[in-house]
Amino acid sequence: MDAVRMSHVWRLPARLIVFLGLTFIALSASALDVPPLTGRILDLAHVLPAQESEQLTQQLRAHEEKTGNQVAVLILPSLEGEPVEEYSHRVANTWKLGQKGIDNGVLLLIALKERKLRIEVGYGLEGTLTDLRSAHIIRNEIVPQFRNGDIPGGVRAGTEAILATIEGTYQAKEPPPDRIQPGREPGAFQYVIIGIVVGFLAGIVLSQGLRRVRALLGSVLTFMVAQLASIPLGLVAAGFTAFLLWMVLRAKSGRRRGSGPEDWTWYSSRGGGWSGGSSDSGGFSGGGGDFGGGGASGDW
Amino acid sequence: MGRGGTIVIGLLMGASFWGCGYNDLQGLDEDTKAAWSEVVNQYQRRADLIPNLVATVKGYAAHEKETLEGVIQARAHATGIQVTPEMLKDPATFEQFQKAQAGLTSALGRLIAIAENYPNLKADQNFRDLQSQLEGTENRITVARKRYIDRVAEYNKMVRYFPTNLTAKLLLHMEEKPNFTVADEKAVAKPPEVKFN
Repeated sequence: MDAVRMSHVWRLPARLIVFLGLTFIALSASALDVPPLTGRILDLAHVLPAQESEQLTQQLRAHEEKTGNQVAVLILPSLEGEPVEEYSHRVANTWKLGQKGIDNGVLLLIALKERKLRIEVGYGLEGTLTDLRSAHIIRNEIVPQFRNGDIPGGVRAGTEAILATIEGTYQAKEPPPDRIQPGREPGAFQYVIIGIVVGFLAGIVLSQGLRRVRALLGSVLTFMVAQLASIPLGLVAAGFTAFLLWMVLRAKSGRRRGSGPEDWTWYSSRGGGWSGGSSDSGGFSGGGGDFGGGGASGDW
Repeated sequence: MGRGGTIVIGLLMGASFWGCGYNDLQGLDEDTKAAWSEVVNQYQRRADLIPNLVATVKGYAAHEKETLEGVIQARAHATGIQVTPEMLKDPATFEQFQKAQAGLTSALGRLIAIAENYPNLKADQNFRDLQSQLEGTENRITVARKRYIDRVAEYNKMVRYFPTNLTAKLLLHMEEKPNFTVADEKAVAKPPEVKFN
């Protein structure tokens, strides 16, 4: 294998990959203060016994399977001075509890140090789990137990009251998939088309020897990829088209370098990484629901 | 490479049209309108709660006439100003709307503050419920305002940035939209005066 030539051939794709990688890192690191959603019950203050937490998780999972509603509980040691409403809205909107378009998510947030709690209700459940109903659950179900020092009891009572209230609002149309893909854009098709165009250009760039054409197309590509960078689907389409075209054009011009199958494995293994933006640790993730500030707060 | 060149030029033109932001501008304009409707919606929701709240407080503290009247007047003033998305372009109308709503916010703050002086009122189930609903609505207003602020900021950026500003100004005749100001935020966030006497 001709090492010098190889490095020349791969320079542009390698740069692209580095650029894309950096973009993804920048995109994923934006929400620092919101803890990653690792489960339906996220007990960062470690006040729930493991068995209790497991039981509640089962209950919440069963509820989601039946109704599609996503309910999560977050217990924090402290709010670090942030208003409970602001933080809870930020968490709910970051986690995107509830299904996209139905917005049937609920977050029960408890901050131990401040002795504050909030039920944050997604748009789609505001009709049944009203501000008033949320306030009643806090006032009558949760706070009395919290005042007795029984945090697990309050969490259980509150969660059960929430589930009982929103039961029957929605029916799950089909059993929800193990992992709901967050945020598939409505204009996905459009991005695929644009991706193919970008890929087409990239293919030409990769296979053309002419410097001027490369420079010109390179600048157009940079611009387009910059806009595409936030849409993994478009990028995958771009990468795939570019690869196909590059292969075809290269074969045509008869300037084959290296051996085909090896290139294929290298490229496809790398290419697979591009769609990795949405791969997560499995288990539980939000379905794209939206929150408009509904719910109630309280303290004990 | 005659044909290849043509293709490249065609694609370039496509790319430049794509970059002019026509669709993005239209979309953002719609988004700001939707966000505004939500703001108005939530303010209306608050206004709807007030008659009940005033009636409840009256039952326990009828002689707090000044405060009660203040709320009723502020409500009438606030609901008297209707701002449709089309009227949003006018900063003066926007300002008027903001002021009226801020006035209602502080009048309501005073009303809730006097409840502190009446233990029976504070314990009243009906009053507590109305208070929860009022709190919830205030929170929704905050969220709706924040969304509107974000949308308008996004829209205004597109209207000012090159090259989309050319599309906005020359083709679509779009102007920057007024946004909620920090000064107004302060007026809203001002805690109600509590008198000890």
